Amino acid sequence: MATTVVARPVARPQARARDEEVLVWPDLVFIEFIAAMLFTITLFFLSVVVNAPLLDQANADVTPNPSKAPWYLLNLQELLLHMNAAMAGIIIPTIWLVILGAFPYFDRDNEGQGVYFGTDGAVKITIIAAAIGFFGTWALILWDSGKVAFFLHDWFRLSGGDSLRFLESARSMQSQLPWPDWSREITYLPFNLRILDGTGSGGPTTFQHLDFPGWLVEQAIPIVFIVGLPSLLIYGMWRMGLVVTRRDALLALFGGFVASYGVLTLTGTAFRGQGQELVFPWELKVSEGIPGQE
Amino acid sequence: MAVEAPAKPTLADKIYDKMFHNYVWKSIFRTGYPNTPRNQMLVVATNVFLHLHPTRIHRTHVKVTHTYCLGGLSFFMFLGLTVTGILLMFYYVPSVERAYLDMQNITTTVQFGQLMRNMHRWMAHAMVILVFLHMMRVFYTGAYKPPREFNWVVGVILLVLTFLLSFTGYLLPWDQLAFWAITVGSNIAGSAPVLGPKTRFWMLGGFEVGPESLIRFYTLHVIGLPLLAAIFMAVHFWRIRRDGGLARPL
Repeated sequence: MATTVVARPVARPQARARDEEVLVWPDLVFIEFIAAMLFTITLFFLSVVVNAPLLDQANADVTPNPSKAPWYLLNLQELLLHMNAAMAGIIIPTIWLVILGAFPYFDRDNEGQGVYFGTDGAVKITIIAAAIGFFGTWALILWDSGKVAFFLHDWFRLSGGDSLRFLESARSMQSQLPWPDWSREITYLPFNLRILDGTGSGGPTTFQHLDFPGWLVEQAIPIVFIVGLPSLLIYGMWRMGLVVTRRDALLALFGGFVASYGVLTLTGTAFRGQGQELVFPWELKVSEGIPGQE
Repeated sequence: MAVEAPAKPTLADKIYDKMFHNYVWKSIFRTGYPNTPRNQMLVVATNVFLHLHPTRIHRTHVKVTHTYCLGGLSFFMFLGLTVTGILLMFYYVPSVERAYLDMQNITTTVQFGQLMRNMHRWMAHAMVILVFLHMMRVFYTGAYKPPREFNWVVGVILLVLTFLLSFTGYLLPWDQLAFWAITVGSNIAGSAPVLGPKTRFWMLGGFEVGPESLIRFYTLHVIGLPLLAAIFMAVHFWRIRRDGGLARPL
């Protein structure tokens, strides 16, 4: 009787279609061999031609400007310029990785696997989501760096005057609006909460006052954009009849993610100059940070 | 019906016979060149390096445009990085006094040292890109769907491990690029709520990037993370076979 309680997988592997199969040797092994050789040869020649960078010896007293993380983290460093550091550096990437890992538990339908895209609207959804992710991310970066207001003023002589200055970037909402003093220190926890002794960066962790304008700019607005825009995208495409299944929703989400991830990485890598100022790649110069030498 | 008489063996045939049909050779490669379907399956099933594969595979999966070999190439980059990494380890001592001098030695006096270092670096970048593209391929072919849910999760973990492997290696040259990139990177980790400062302290072995950070990053880079990645890779590859090979339409 014990044999009847053996756990069964929820979804079992498909039955094999033996008449559709080819031999791994030679059909697959040779392709793998050729791919491996192509990469070996290409990387070998790349290594002959281009040397890996080696700058001066590490020196804690000399800070290059700009200092940048490895390129695959520059998307986070770019986010860091627009919002609260913990959110940009830790919370958003962690939540995103959990969401990414949970994809197959959200889309449990096993239809449409093994072929590219797989649903009727898939290609359309991907193109639209990627385009919106691409241009949307650029637009938000340009707005938050104040470049939109700058271009409007410089090219079209448009200016909102002082009363509209708070729209120039997210940060200017904090500085350009007449916030009353009490809003910068709203007590919401009437005692000093220490979670861990704050080894490293300054003092105990306190959770008692809320700087509302700061919170609005550093946390609320970015959350609204990061959660709201993808939701709006999926909702809109659902209303248009493009997104039908859960797979479609994931296609929209993932397409938008890849595009904006790419834009963020590219901006952080090639468009951020000294002081993390937004510049064109050909204007990008690194100051070594040696005193008296720019 | 005339039966053709077997041709007389030429000199080339005799040399071939001596080289590949002798006692020693046959002790290593038992089946000879596999030119019958039976031997071709045997060679895949019995060879320790090839037996990762099934002996036969659905014909749509050998089309290059289906997978672009991205997963396999990611693994190949891992192997190449292991080889070049071991060679670099011969010349590199992870101490603040020696690291940078060793780097200069590798690039100037060690034979093929610059080449090994370049290969290691460009392969590392290639691996990050390939792993990401592999994830895109798997997503767009719907290959995460049942029964392969958990293998997708393992894949996400491997993506993170790839980033960490690359990140820990970034500090080792101990030049300005390395030092400040890790300073920026660890500051990002340090900004985490509640656990941030402690995490950063554990990561760096101090409040700033220093000798302790170098040995930590080195140890993680050359043994800790590769072992972990190898374990997850073993699970990843095993699950591909257990879940019925590559995804194909129902």
